[in-house]
Amino acid sequence: MKILVAVKRVADPNVKVRALADGSGVDLANIKMTMNPFDEIAVEEAVRLKEVGRANEIVVVSIGPEKSAETLRTALAMGADRGLLVRTDAVVEPLAVAKILKAVAEAERPDIIITGKQAIDDDANQTGQMLSALLGWGQGTFASKLVVGDKAIEVTREVDGGLQTVGLPLPALVTADLRLNEPRYASLPNIMKAKKKPIDERTPADYGVAVEPRLTVVRVHEPATRKAGIKVGSVGELVERLRMEAGVLR
Amino acid sequence: MIHADDGILSQEQRLMRDSCRSFVDDVVTPFIRSNWQREWDMSPGERLPGAILEGAEAIGIRTLGVPEEFGGIDLERETEVRTFALIAEEIARGDSGLADKLVQNWKVSIVIRQFAAKHLQEKWFPRLLEDPKFLLAHCLTEPRGASDRWLPYNVPEASMHTRAVPDGDHWVINGRKQFISNGFDASLYVVYANTDPSVGMLQGTSSFLVPRETPGLTITKCNETMGCRFMNNGELVFEDCRIPADHLLVKSTALASAGQYFRAGKIIQAAKNLGVGVACFERTADYVQNYVQGGRILIKHQAVALRLADMATRIEAVRSLVERASKAVDEAHPDADILCNMAKVYASEEIMKVATHALELHGGNGAMLEFGIEKLFRDAAIFLHMDATVDVSRMKIIKNMFPATAGKYAGPET
Repeated sequence: MKILVAVKRVADPNVKVRALADGSGVDLANIKMTMNPFDEIAVEEAVRLKEVGRANEIVVVSIGPEKSAETLRTALAMGADRGLLVRTDAVVEPLAVAKILKAVAEAERPDIIITGKQAIDDDANQTGQMLSALLGWGQGTFASKLVVGDKAIEVTREVDGGLQTVGLPLPALVTADLRLNEPRYASLPNIMKAKKKPIDERTPADYGVAVEPRLTVVRVHEPATRKAGIKVGSVGELVERLRMEAGVLR
Repeated sequence: MIHADDGILSQEQRLMRDSCRSFVDDVVTPFIRSNWQREWDMSPGERLPGAILEGAEAIGIRTLGVPEEFGGIDLERETEVRTFALIAEEIARGDSGLADKLVQNWKVSIVIRQFAAKHLQEKWFPRLLEDPKFLLAHCLTEPRGASDRWLPYNVPEASMHTRAVPDGDHWVINGRKQFISNGFDASLYVVYANTDPSVGMLQGTSSFLVPRETPGLTITKCNETMGCRFMNNGELVFEDCRIPADHLLVKSTALASAGQYFRAGKIIQAAKNLGVGVACFERTADYVQNYVQGGRILIKHQAVALRLADMATRIEAVRSLVERASKAVDEAHPDADILCNMAKVYASEEIMKVATHALELHGGNGAMLEFGIEKLFRDAAIFLHMDATVDVSRMKIIKNMFPATAGKYAGPET
């Protein structure tokens, strides 16, 4: 069984990012970048399936600038077998990502595609769903558990109000939620071994996909900063202010 | 902190550092912060929980330095010491004792891979790799005089007291070793002993591989230290300890030949210091941006901001020297000995100042055990003495710079 995992290079979630002064986007200059945490979970799941003998090859793909190769290298160090970088410096919207991944899937013919439920940079949460629709495959999104059989998989999904388990014939698409697993750290020996694993490079044009944006970003700005609190003199004043100013008491 | 060095590191070096950093942030630091009493557990074997060592094992940081042919990893020899420095810094940023424990394995592996017979490497390296509790130790220091051996007095009377004499197809070792990192719980020791009392120590010292179970070797105690308490420093006694002849590593010139060990050791030592300094800075920067005094957060008081700037500047200066010195060691530059001693001296003294600032900027909290800042201060302090005192390191710098004068034995004092 072959698994294709799609990963994205994003700003490190522990880093505080700032909006560019002109409001055109987020300032990523000199910001520490890392693999999207949900994609890490997707890689981990694939590696575990390989470790228990359910999968025999893991191909990891990323769409982005040259440096995305480093994100692929991390996935290879975690246990993926080979990488594919679809290189572009453009900001690629979810639909274009899905189209490229569809073309990759048609070339690679995986049994399962796993990716993060969303990337933590734009939080679009669209790529997996669009890709499944384009391929005409079943989708198990927000997965917290994955059971792989020979011809079908069972995906336990985190939905509003509880868990839902869906059965999907293969090939199928899964998007990973937070509780699917806890990703491992790439070990030092595996990082050195990953150096010898191959990473192929293509461009979106190789797949006949135009990455020109269809959406217009009007403005990117930071959330309003929280105003300083005030000290009230008495309980009476507190109740009064909660009622009149905060509107939480009636 | 500042990440301007990222560009000069290889992709693998960055990934290894990041993996180590994540392990430290997720596992080591939370443990140390919430279990500050643990380092005062007076059962040395119980002090560090197995889970921490298992985590270290899972990312493979216990066994660097083991050659690939025996199951280790090839860190790329031309930048190996630089990589050691990067990893040692990250571990020490979480806990310097843990770093001491692990780096000793790397350093001693260098000696074994360089000098041990192939069949011994085939025997011991797999055991080291397989057993997560397997530690190595390097036994040089003795109760009487450690530092003076490194001064320019390469004469018979300054030689080691621990003696090894041949007896048939064995060597028999008698003597004592003290202040040995990992000495208390190592499984395999590299031991230095005098094998020719008629010459100076540079010509008359040999090294041996001694397994812990060897009859005649007794581990007498674990030294309780002020810092780096998760590494168990020990004392050893050799009484007619018989070692097979093939366990001799280097005959006569063991000290002169172990340069690769000593140079890498100085860099790793300085890098551990750097890790402690970075921890001091990060903790302090966080504290002074949150703690309010006199109606405003501390960092808005200029005297506080100036000290913080001083801490950051010292750390970056140390980092620059460590980088330069590790490059020199990797390239086997003739000045490598000088530079790595400079890095060791400078790192230990500068980071001591950084730790002092951290202590002061935390006010009363700095002195509280549960706050963890005094621990960094103690860890920084012990590094002044580890792997040679700063004064002895300075002597080595001058001896190396001026071999014809400072490097010459001046004769007995009259």
